[in-house]
Amino acid sequence: MIKYLNPSYIFNLTGKILNLVKFFIIPIVIVGIIFSLFLSPEDYIQGDAVRIMYVHVPAAWISLLCFGTLSLLCIINFIFKIKSMSLVFKSLAPIGLTFNIIAILTGALWGQPTWGTWWAWDARLTSMLILMFFYIAFILSYKFIKDPINSSKICTIISLAGLINLVVIKYSVIWWSTLHQPASVNLAGETTIHISMLIPLSVMLLAFLLYSALIFLMKYRIETIRVKKKGLK
Amino acid sequence: MINLEILFMNGYGLYVWPSFIFTFVICLGFYLKTNKTLKKLEKDFIKEAESLSKQEFENLKKQKIAKEILVSHSKN
Repeated sequence: MIKYLNPSYIFNLTGKILNLVKFFIIPIVIVGIIFSLFLSPEDYIQGDAVRIMYVHVPAAWISLLCFGTLSLLCIINFIFKIKSMSLVFKSLAPIGLTFNIIAILTGALWGQPTWGTWWAWDARLTSMLILMFFYIAFILSYKFIKDPINSSKICTIISLAGLINLVVIKYSVIWWSTLHQPASVNLAGETTIHISMLIPLSVMLLAFLLYSALIFLMKYRIETIRVKKKGLK
Repeated sequence: MINLEILFMNGYGLYVWPSFIFTFVICLGFYLKTNKTLKKLEKDFIKEAESLSKQEFENLKKQKIAKEILVSHSKN
């Protein structure tokens, strides 16, 4: 078990997984795009505008997943003080922010033809925007606070506050009357999306997950080399 | 001849194509930036490692992570 937590073992493993991800990502992205843009059917109400879902929904899910994971890691790091944990959450935060921005931008592009507006101060949209500010605050904290103990404390506080916002994002469409529709895909409950749309959505989610893994592994290597480089001086 | 209906998507093409293009451009830009930083750091690491004395360099090569960086960069 100790072997699997060894930084040199993890670093070596990242190199191997990186090559594997690079091999699979392009074919999966191509299949995902073909399905989303050409093979999936139009929606009976939204028409072709529904195709925006195939980039908007996976991007939003990954941005939530990244924040949830980094919050958990921050708490673990705060309690157990595991050095390599900070490398992981530093690698995750920029990925989450990128997908958060994509979700907001594509959401605006989806909002215009379906709701007649690019933006509304609706509970779901506003809480997603707040998530973006949490990501920015988190990244700025570990970049500009030099003292690692203080930086870790502030990152944990931000991630905990952001965790409350994640709950608000999830339940905003239930608690308030919003423009945003309730979730169509539920892991625990009933999924209301048709299989012909669920397949392209799943392929695009896989493509986005692979992309996230690719960036995460590269970022992890960057952070590890930075630490090693400091050791040379 | 290109089927223009694929491009226009009943008028929704104006929103659908930019969504995919934005996503693709942001992802590609982020990948290229990350890749450039990684390559630069590997290069800097090797440069600094080579400026060490022979003994220090040999000791560094015994460390697994340093060895992996030296090997992976030489492969690229």
